[in-house]
Amino acid sequence: MRGHTQTRMERIEQAIIVSSLLFMVVVTVQPILHLLALSLSDPARVPGMSGLAIVPSGFSFDVWGLLINHPSVQRGLLNSILITTTGTLLNVTCTVLMAWALSRRRLPGRAIIFVFVLVTIVFEPGLIPDYFVARDLGLLNTYWSVILYKLVNAWYLIILIRFFEEVPDELIEAADLDGANAFQTLWRVVLPLARPAIATITLFYLVYHWNEFLRPMIYLTDPDMHPLQVVLRQFVIEGDKSTMVGIAAMTNYEGAGQISTRALNAGMIILTILPILAVYPLILRYFTKGVMSGALKG
Amino acid sequence: MTMPPETAPAGPDAPRDGNLPSAALILDEDWDASQPAGRWLRLRAWWPYYLMMAPGILYFVLFHYFPIYQARLAFQDFRIFDDNIWVGLKHFTTLFDSPAFFQVLGNTLIISAMKIVFVFPVPILVALLINEIRTTNLRRFIQSAIYLPHFLSWVVIAGIFIAALSPSDGVINEMRGWIGLNPVGFMTDSGSIRWVVVFSEIWRSAGWDSLLYFAAIMAIDPQLYDAAEMDGANRWQKIWYVTLPGIAPTIATLFILNVGMFMNAGFDQIFNLANDAIRDQIDIIDTYVYRIGLQSGQFSLATAAGLFKGVIGMILLLAAHTISKRLTGKGVW
Repeated sequence: MRGHTQTRMERIEQAIIVSSLLFMVVVTVQPILHLLALSLSDPARVPGMSGLAIVPSGFSFDVWGLLINHPSVQRGLLNSILITTTGTLLNVTCTVLMAWALSRRRLPGRAIIFVFVLVTIVFEPGLIPDYFVARDLGLLNTYWSVILYKLVNAWYLIILIRFFEEVPDELIEAADLDGANAFQTLWRVVLPLARPAIATITLFYLVYHWNEFLRPMIYLTDPDMHPLQVVLRQFVIEGDKSTMVGIAAMTNYEGAGQISTRALNAGMIILTILPILAVYPLILRYFTKGVMSGALKG
Repeated sequence: MTMPPETAPAGPDAPRDGNLPSAALILDEDWDASQPAGRWLRLRAWWPYYLMMAPGILYFVLFHYFPIYQARLAFQDFRIFDDNIWVGLKHFTTLFDSPAFFQVLGNTLIISAMKIVFVFPVPILVALLINEIRTTNLRRFIQSAIYLPHFLSWVVIAGIFIAALSPSDGVINEMRGWIGLNPVGFMTDSGSIRWVVVFSEIWRSAGWDSLLYFAAIMAIDPQLYDAAEMDGANRWQKIWYVTLPGIAPTIATLFILNVGMFMNAGFDQIFNLANDAIRDQIDIIDTYVYRIGLQSGQFSLATAAGLFKGVIGMILLLAAHTISKRLTGKGVW
């Protein structure tokens, strides 16, 4: 502790506090490490493995080989990447443009547009009207139905407007007087200053698109268009394992027969998490900083 | 970029061809915008901004306002080939006469209440504990680990819980075996599934949500702690008399927001944790709308149920916003 030496009691308290937090870390991380261990274990040894194990029993890439070569998984991966990249790019572009305009306090009609946006946060008519809108716009069974859904997230828009409002007026006015147009001012003055905020909402959108499963499930009736989350749901939640092992057997993958669904599910879950783990260090850097600086509300 | 000396109020890119007043004039507070010519010039100077907002506004119109119009289906009978016919409140009457609806309404309220009682306090506790860790590296390590589940989809989290709670090879039942207890199929047991909902919510969000409270703790004036220390306050007294009062506004705001979101018991979570054995315990309005609408094709009834939830949710959220604004000066948005 600061300033004075710890008493015996204080040291015991500290030990209890540290161990309860470390227990929370274990409860958070162990299940994920366990699934990773299962997916990398020798298939023959998986049935007897303890749920506590975080080290593979034996070692084999059989599960991963099967998953990577599985047509549904391959298509799911490609679809997820396509939807996530295109979607995030459009999300960020539209949100930034709209936020920039709405951050100009003198913009005529600004208050009306604010209310127009807030109404959509307060009132949600529900799943079925959304579905009929997608149908009437002719978006069903097109990637656009999932790319355009939540194109501009009202919460992120508000976060970004608040951030843009922090840019000193003097800088913007100077650019205006220099004859820069609205796009040039945004590009040269505002964006460089708002880089952490833009990075934050980019990551928000990225995670959202990667994790979305419901709209693709409803809007995309063609299974070949399903992203990875929907494929994962089919295998793990709906327990549709026969297709998986069946196709595996058809592709003559060596050792496919003895791979248990437990190990397959584990590998599938880890595969779906991997991209999130890849951007997680960035998330920690930007989200956490954003929240700590009070720029974000949730 | 160097700053010019003059910082006179200036607007966006006003045309500089001499035919129009300068940006400064257009945006001058004294400019009479009520006169048609003045208003026109004002709008004209701002057109690039409206252009930039156009895709966003179009999106809100198509994907948020158009659905509100589509919600009229709740007052119509759905027909595939002909135009729908208006039936007034028929579907709402059916809804309020059906025991199934009251069951999902009850489940929604029970699960939301359980989450507020058992989930809401956990991140506060976590933030208080983290604040007691003085070693920066240890603190960062703990934070990095416990924030992670917030970024996983509910499909993934349900998969993790199904594996961990499996009666045959899940870790929880393995540990129950050590002390001689029989395995329980938690995911299919009516008595335990709501607790699975509560615990999985804690697993996913307690870490990340603690960040907001931790940020509030960091914002407390360190002098208050020094003063308390001078007065001989111990750890618990400092938490009780300095930290908790310091984060009370944050707790109040988030509590009110949670109450405002009461009707949202968590579609993604319930949808992925649900199965036929325990559906009557955790089926909420949102999952009910999905089932009777998109699975059974009762579109009008499902729209009515969704609309009912939307209206109650709107009232709660507006009330939450007003109360929060009055209490803490900060609204929900």
